[in-house]
Amino acid sequence: MKRTLAFLSLLFVLGALLYISNPEYGLKFGLGGEDWKNLRYTDDYYITHGVEEVGGTNIVTDIVFDYRGYDTLGEATVLFTAIAGAVALLRPWRRDEE
Amino acid sequence: MSDDMGVIVKTMARATIPLIGIFGAYVVSHGHLTPGGGFQGGATIAGAGVLFLIAFGLSEMKKRYDKHLYSALEGVGGLVFLGAAMLGLGTAFFYNTLWHNGPVFNGDPGTLLSAGYLPIMNLAVGLKVFTGLVSAMVGIALYRRWKS
Repeated sequence: MKRTLAFLSLLFVLGALLYISNPEYGLKFGLGGEDWKNLRYTDDYYITHGVEEVGGTNIVTDIVFDYRGYDTLGEATVLFTAIAGAVALLRPWRRDEE
Repeated sequence: MSDDMGVIVKTMARATIPLIGIFGAYVVSHGHLTPGGGFQGGATIAGAGVLFLIAFGLSEMKKRYDKHLYSALEGVGGLVFLGAAMLGLGTAFFYNTLWHNGPVFNGDPGTLLSAGYLPIMNLAVGLKVFTGLVSAMVGIALYRRWKS
C-alpha cells in the first residue's frame, strides 16, 4: 500500500513537472522568441563567429580553450592542486612502514 | 595473497587496454574537430590505466609506474598549456595568434592541422589529465594503513 502510494505520488510529480516544462502553457523562464535573442546574443555569436575566429569546428573546444580560456586555466590549476594534495596525503607514512 | 584478477579478466584486459588507449588518443588529437577534447580523452586513457591496475594488481603496476616520470609529465602538460596561451601575448593572453598568421596549424577548418593552438592545448591537457589521474589512482591503491 505504501509503495503504491509512493509510486503514484512519483508519477504525479513527474506529470506536474512535464506540465510545467511545456513551453506552450507551462511556466515561462525569462523571455521567449526574438526578445530572448536580444539578451542572449553570445550564443549566436559563438556559433556564427567561432570557426572563423578560433578555427576549430568543435564549438565547445573553441569556447573552452579560447573564449573562456581563463576558466580552463583555473580548472587545470584545480586539477593539479587536487592531484598534488592526493599524492601528498596518500603516500605511505614513516610510522606505517615499521 | 595475490592482488590480481583471474585469467579471463587478464586476457580481456590485454585485449581491450590498447583499444581504450587508441580511442583516447583519437579523442585528444581530434579535440578541435569532433566532440571531446583534452579532459575527456585524458580521462579515457586514464581509464585504461585503471583497468590495468585492477586487472593485473598493484605489484605489477608498481613495476611499470614511475612516480617521478609521471609527476614531471603532469608539470610539462600544465606548462605547455600556459606556454600555448602565452603565444599571443603581444595582443592578449589566450589570443589565438597561430590561427590565420601562424607557420603551423593553419590549414582549412575541419582538417587535423588547423585551429591554431587548440591541438597543442588539447595534447597538453590530455597528457596532464592522464598522468594526474593515474598518479591519483596509484596513490589511492598504495594507501594501506592495515597489514595484510
